[in-house]
Amino acid sequence: MDDIWLVILGLAAATFSIRMAGAMLGARLPQSGAWARILQSLPGCLIVALVSVSLLSGGPNEWIAGAIAAAVAILSRSLLATMVIGITAIWFLRHFVVF
Amino acid sequence: MFKSGNNTQEFINGFKEVVPLAIGAGIYGLAFGLLAAQAHMDELQVGIMGTTVFAGASQIIAVERIVSGGGALVAIIAGAALNLRLLLITASIRDVYAGRPFWQVVLGAHLTTDENWALMLSARAEGRSVGYWYLVGAGLMMLLVWLMATIAGVTFATAIPDPRALGTDFAFTAAFIAIARSLWTCHWDFIPWVTSFVVVALLILPGFVDGSWAMIAGGVAGATLAGLRRNG
Repeated sequence: MDDIWLVILGLAAATFSIRMAGAMLGARLPQSGAWARILQSLPGCLIVALVSVSLLSGGPNEWIAGAIAAAVAILSRSLLATMVIGITAIWFLRHFVVF
Repeated sequence: MFKSGNNTQEFINGFKEVVPLAIGAGIYGLAFGLLAAQAHMDELQVGIMGTTVFAGASQIIAVERIVSGGGALVAIIAGAALNLRLLLITASIRDVYAGRPFWQVVLGAHLTTDENWALMLSARAEGRSVGYWYLVGAGLMMLLVWLMATIAGVTFATAIPDPRALGTDFAFTAAFIAIARSLWTCHWDFIPWVTSFVVVALLILPGFVDGSWAMIAGGVAGATLAGLRRNG
């Protein structure tokens, strides 16, 4: 029981420190040159890495659904359409296709 | 870029536009509630944890460590390791917090999640001049939905279906595929993005490291390549 409160407190403190450290660190890094270009490229690369992790942690079903979602995203540029078709695709693959 | 509109309107836009992403996170919230019930957490603990930690994946992994008997220290370390990416996320939008009073930096940093961060970048990629209040409005909606979903999850633990059976666990991946597409600006992004993918694949497929470390390494590798390149 006490473990729960300890974890809540510890994880809350650690997570808040991490978020603030990023905001402070970002403010202290130079506004131009290599560091600035790294920070500017970071969001896109992080999102690609995030998607790569979740697709590669799955199997062929996730890869195919991911490819379908990517095609919808490229053609429609719609967040909602990509989510709805992506979820429908993974549901269909898991229920009706055996890999 | 236009001159920035008034703060209230920006706040409301963020609050509304994040709803599809918040629903995606809410599905994880239900799953977290189920896990919290297994750890014998009550509604108050789930609510306080959601408000103060406010980072879904780390809450899930920490409580999962408790359920599997790993102890408090292991739970905190596992959750914090997963959240190291938030350091890069807040650092990458430094302009949002720049020149603000300290309480606003604290509020904005605490309310920054994968979802509202990505949504704000996506809105900017469309040429809209959104910033701090858009991020905070979207973050507040994320918090409200996260609290409702996690508390509902722990309360109705026995009645909730497994997200995998419905395919809704894929909501997050699909959303981020759409956001990656909107962040694509020009062919200069191609090599850094491929680098990020390859680094993640090399680390994760042989099982060297778990997903959160692979994500950090992949993101940093791609961005570093982009940063060191001339005229990038």
